[in-house]
Amino acid sequence: MNRALLALAAVLAALAVSIPGAFGRTLETATPTATPGVTSSSITIGGTFPLSGPASLYAPIPRGMEAYFNWINSRKGPDGRKGIRGRQIVWKYYDDGYNPAQTVQLTNKLILEDKIFADVGSLGTEHNQAIRPLLNDRKIPQILVATGASYWGLQHKQYPWTIGWQPDYIAEGRAYGLWITKNAANAKIAVFYQNDDYGKDYLRGLKIGLGAKKSLIVSEQSYEATDTSYASQLARQKASGANTWVLLSIPTPTVRALATAKALNWKPDTIVINSVSAIDSVMAAVASRAGPEYVNGAISSGYLKNNNNPKYSNDPIVRRYQALLAQYGPSGADSKNGFYFYGFAKAYDVVKLLYNAGKNPTRASLIKATQSMNWVNPYMIKGIKVKTSKTDHFPISQLKLARYGNGTFSEFGPLIKGR
Amino acid sequence: MRRWASPVLQGLVLAAAVVLIVLLPRFTSEFRLGQFTYVGIYFIALLGLNILTGYNGQISLGHAAFMAIGGYTAAILILGQKGFELAGHDPAQVIPEHGMRALFTIPIAGLVTGVIGYLFGLPALRLAAVSLALATLAVAVSFPALAKRFEHLTGGGGGLSLPLPHAPFGWDISTPHWLYYEAWVTAAILFVVAWLLVRGRVGRAWRAIRDGEIAAVSSGVSPAVYKTLAFGISAAYAGVAGALFAIQVSYINPDTFPVTLSILLLASVVIGGLSSLSGVIVGALVLEFLPIYAQAPPVLHLNFAKQAGPVVFGFVLMVIVLLVPGGMASLIRRITRPLTAALARKA
Repeated sequence: MNRALLALAAVLAALAVSIPGAFGRTLETATPTATPGVTSSSITIGGTFPLSGPASLYAPIPRGMEAYFNWINSRKGPDGRKGIRGRQIVWKYYDDGYNPAQTVQLTNKLILEDKIFADVGSLGTEHNQAIRPLLNDRKIPQILVATGASYWGLQHKQYPWTIGWQPDYIAEGRAYGLWITKNAANAKIAVFYQNDDYGKDYLRGLKIGLGAKKSLIVSEQSYEATDTSYASQLARQKASGANTWVLLSIPTPTVRALATAKALNWKPDTIVINSVSAIDSVMAAVASRAGPEYVNGAISSGYLKNNNNPKYSNDPIVRRYQALLAQYGPSGADSKNGFYFYGFAKAYDVVKLLYNAGKNPTRASLIKATQSMNWVNPYMIKGIKVKTSKTDHFPISQLKLARYGNGTFSEFGPLIKGR
Repeated sequence: MRRWASPVLQGLVLAAAVVLIVLLPRFTSEFRLGQFTYVGIYFIALLGLNILTGYNGQISLGHAAFMAIGGYTAAILILGQKGFELAGHDPAQVIPEHGMRALFTIPIAGLVTGVIGYLFGLPALRLAAVSLALATLAVAVSFPALAKRFEHLTGGGGGLSLPLPHAPFGWDISTPHWLYYEAWVTAAILFVVAWLLVRGRVGRAWRAIRDGEIAAVSSGVSPAVYKTLAFGISAAYAGVAGALFAIQVSYINPDTFPVTLSILLLASVVIGGLSSLSGVIVGALVLEFLPIYAQAPPVLHLNFAKQAGPVVFGFVLMVIVLLVPGGMASLIRRITRPLTAALARKA
């Protein structure tokens, strides 16, 4: 008992001594004399990405951006100065392991420790959702997020400091629906989708595109991102007699689903694969498991030039990308990996925006710049415009369908307006 | 005389720790304060896990799931049906209509998780150590899928965004300060509870079961009662930690509490030292700071490849376990014992 009393007395004494001091002061809410993250010689931006864990295949994106920023920092721009109007871009990015709780913590680190000017290109739907309130609460721009959920553009009123980038999943799903009604009017469609906002956005878009022909869908099956087998869902889809299969799944499940379907001896006439998974390297994995003839002719869509496609092998922008990645990128970076290319395309628009934010950029002027984007990004398919306005908060809303063959996706058909 | 020195030293160390924790906010940045809030939260979870694993010898690889249950309980109560609808979710009927003050959800989350943990402890009684570890691992693995399935309760994979936290009752204290004190006052209360439990009759029974179940039974200790009790209390601690975590992050989804967190929790208990309450603080510090600073070591300034973080983390874990197999608590004891002995001699 003595011990307990003694310890208690000590703790009480300690509290008595220290509490008055502790509450004496609240954190000074730093009155910003200047814009955080912007000095006369630098501009600090940051983001979070899954460099490790289940989604680490996206890891090249921030590194591609880094290579592009390095180049911008070392070259003389149109105004004859290096970087953005003479300011060097400082690019801070951290690995959140695709865990939203980590995203929140690391974003706090970016805000409070690294004092970023803006959160740029952070990856993941739930992850961006998790940090959206705290960034908007502090009036910090959350721009060009790397996710195609529709609410970045739709919820501008509630979250005016947030804006997306790539065509949203609803727009893309709609394009597939339209294509099917035109080219396969008698299709019997089986849809395989991930049971979350991403998969459901796609499904909604597909149904919008099908319009009155929604009844063509004969089977809808979903899976959880954590599932490891889809045999029962796919057996049911096969039994439905569907001849058109729409896959609204992320890369690894897509590979598994296609391999499983092949093992079940199910060969739909038409396979549609959403753009998240329609990557040449993913398709190569499928081809090695199910045979290339299984996926040849598969339909998808895109908005960036496919840097692997022979069509672009002499494209000056693709050539420059390869040279810049070799010079400024991480050693051993494989320029064939489309995610580096995605990073370049994203970084191109970031640089444009930072430049358009003005001579003395503020967070408000940056957001203003995101509402008047209007340019051609050379990394994108010809004809696509990056365009926003005070009422349109979807920077990229055009896309083109693509068909798989000879180990790569080739674009075809006219530009499709998603919104 | 000798019996006096150690309590004096213990009391002094405890008092010093309290002063440090209370005064820390004066000397740290807002970001650091946030990190130390997480340390407090992990401290609570690790206390609970140490009761189960350190004192009772039952291994759990499912504590992240218990944290998740606590976190979801708090989140659901904070939002209420109104909050669900505001966020565009379709809420289940069992959810209370109006949201609740975040502070009040913490004990409820602990209670709910404790009851679930107690119930889980019943079948676990029949499992030997390794099988139990696997059974708890199954809980951790299946929880995310379950949470996604019951969308009307959990918001599905998209998760639940909570209102940004603020100090309640109109107290004039900044949000980071409030969250810090909320976590650490809770931690202090639960530390005292754990200490009282462990040093008393219950703790003796736990240790007796851990060290030899047959011997314990023959001395009249009922393993069924005490093992399930350990599970329930341990889960309640995890639930409280999960609730604090959800409030601090102000967002929750199934990926917030991945399987790896369960494993890291267990690793941190081992690093801190099994069956040592004071070692838990070291485990909590490691759990918070190592994964973040392994990405960009602040002292070395080596140009690590960005994905080297997990490797550095694993390496440090191995070094600690190899060099200090008894955990940090044993290291501290090794350092302080000569000091205690010297004090005792003087006294």
